[in-house]
Amino acid sequence: VNELRLSVRTEGALVRVSAHGDVDLGNADALGRQLDEVVANATSEVVVDLGDVGYLDSAGLRVLAGLASRLRQHQITLRVAAPDGTPARRVIELTGLAPVVGLEPAR
Amino acid sequence: MDDRRSPNDLTERLRRIEAVTDTALSHLGTEDLLLELLERVRELLDVDTATILLLDPREDTLVVTAAVGIEEEVRQGVRIPLGVGFAGRVAADARSAVVEHVARHDVANPLLIEGGIESLLGVPLLESGNVIGVLHVGSVAQRTFLPEEVELLQRVADRAALAVDAQRSEVDRAAAAGLQHSLIPGRLPVIPGLDVAARYLPASGGAVGGDWYDVFTLPLGRVGVVIGDVAGRGLEAAVVMGRLRSALRAYALEWSDPAEVLGRLDRKIQHFEIGQMATVVYAVLEPSFGSVAVSSAGHLLPMAAVDGPLRPLDVLVDPPLGVGAEITRRTTVVDLVPGEVLTFYTDGLVERRGEILDEGLERLARVVPGDTAEESCATVISALLGHVDPGDDAAVLVVRTNPVGADAPLQVELPAKPSSLALLRGALRRWLSTAGADPDLEMRVLLAIGEAATNAVEHAYGPAGGPLEVEVWSHPDGVEARVRDHGSWREARGQGRGRGLSIIEQCADRVEVGRGPDGTSVRLRFEVRSEGVA
Repeated sequence: VNELRLSVRTEGALVRVSAHGDVDLGNADALGRQLDEVVANATSEVVVDLGDVGYLDSAGLRVLAGLASRLRQHQITLRVAAPDGTPARRVIELTGLAPVVGLEPAR
Repeated sequence: MDDRRSPNDLTERLRRIEAVTDTALSHLGTEDLLLELLERVRELLDVDTATILLLDPREDTLVVTAAVGIEEEVRQGVRIPLGVGFAGRVAADARSAVVEHVARHDVANPLLIEGGIESLLGVPLLESGNVIGVLHVGSVAQRTFLPEEVELLQRVADRAALAVDAQRSEVDRAAAAGLQHSLIPGRLPVIPGLDVAARYLPASGGAVGGDWYDVFTLPLGRVGVVIGDVAGRGLEAAVVMGRLRSALRAYALEWSDPAEVLGRLDRKIQHFEIGQMATVVYAVLEPSFGSVAVSSAGHLLPMAAVDGPLRPLDVLVDPPLGVGAEITRRTTVVDLVPGEVLTFYTDGLVERRGEILDEGLERLARVVPGDTAEESCATVISALLGHVDPGDDAAVLVVRTNPVGADAPLQVELPAKPSSLALLRGALRRWLSTAGADPDLEMRVLLAIGEAATNAVEHAYGPAGGPLEVEVWSHPDGVEARVRDHGSWREARGQGRGRGLSIIEQCADRVEVGRGPDGTSVRLRFEVRSEGVA
């Protein structure tokens, strides 16, 4: 889905994924599949940057929570970056998912 | 038998042939007409076979279209390359030929040899001096064809050519009109916050060309708008138009930058539609409808207006599609205001015989659009084509962003499906920004309504779907909204699906859920929070 663009940077065992666009029920599953694809076996840490996501709702949170649980099984750390005041940070905090998805402290 | 072959009698026989073509033309299809002609020819020339082959110009091949005596030729779809065999030589030389003793190397069609044909007479079917086919007759007994008989066959061939050409033009015209009709959207999509109207006008005489327009929603609330013109007329232009239309839609789903989409379409033309040329404008409205990204491949500039006459959009124009060479295509982003009228059109709207194009464009730039897209469309057409016969086909597409008042409530009805959520969000964002909502209120309203709508999409209906209705209005302390469906409630299935309700409760200051036999209604009240923190 082109409306949500992902840019992926791999630095050794760290994979950094930045998302741009909106996430809703219409593209959440596609986002989940894309996130799964960028994680290689050699990965030890995944950072998902949601700073440029304009809208994220429960459908997107479901994907993040699912990703966190799958990565945990493979001993891969998930961190979610979303600066203060961004829609993504707001909804993650509202739903108490910050510790589950590894939301980085606000700077 | 001899009396039937006397020259005097030939004139009479020809008259009988002509009688066949004239009366038959009116009600027979081409194939029946040709068969009727061939039957008469076989009888009148006392031959065993008669065959008409028509030239397929795309392949320089003659195709057996009607045959009597050796009917298998038609069923087997015998094809003879131009210049090869007996019929191929008649067509290549564009003149009659006779073979008195058929030898295997004389003919390309084995069925003639198998049928024991000994003598052949063939004449070309000519239309405006061009060969469009061949008529030949064959005899099992060896015979000599009289000059009068050659002439008679040529006269018959001329009548056949006339009939074939007339029917072909009619078929082409009907097919092109049918294709055009099926490809131009009859009903444009309903998009909240956008008013759209369009017209396609065939040229005088009903001739269609390669003009097309298209409006479609894209994922996450963006809207694609297309107008284009394939060079040429008739069926071929209409077919190419159809291909470009589908290809553009496919690329539009994959790439968001209009220049990228047109660049790919260009490569497609240059590879698969060699020799075709088209001009296209592809514009993508942002979900807010606050701006439009436009790329033009040699097409006339769209015009825009707010409370005044139309003016050309300041957009970079790149070369048409299909002209070859690597072209770096560009996209120009233009800001829009609520109530802006965008007008897309093809050259048929502004061109007039004996006039330079600028005069037509100036005439268009004097038009003040109406209050709705439909009215604007009518105004433009009446101003530009009101008193003239369009020499070319013309298309006009008007897209108007709705002026939203802060006091006016927002009412949106969409099918309850995932792709509607982005359209709904686009409408909400536009409404909230006009209503002057602060970022915190905007986010809470978007999220709560989004979650309520997601619930309706996921749980209200079975696979057949149904409507999703959203209403939003202002109150002195903030915003109220109602999200309704007409389905039956069922509990969420699957893990992590209960989170939506918790989001709604935290974003809204009051939530009332009403469940009844006619659906679920969620009433939400939002108040401005001074600190902007939930």
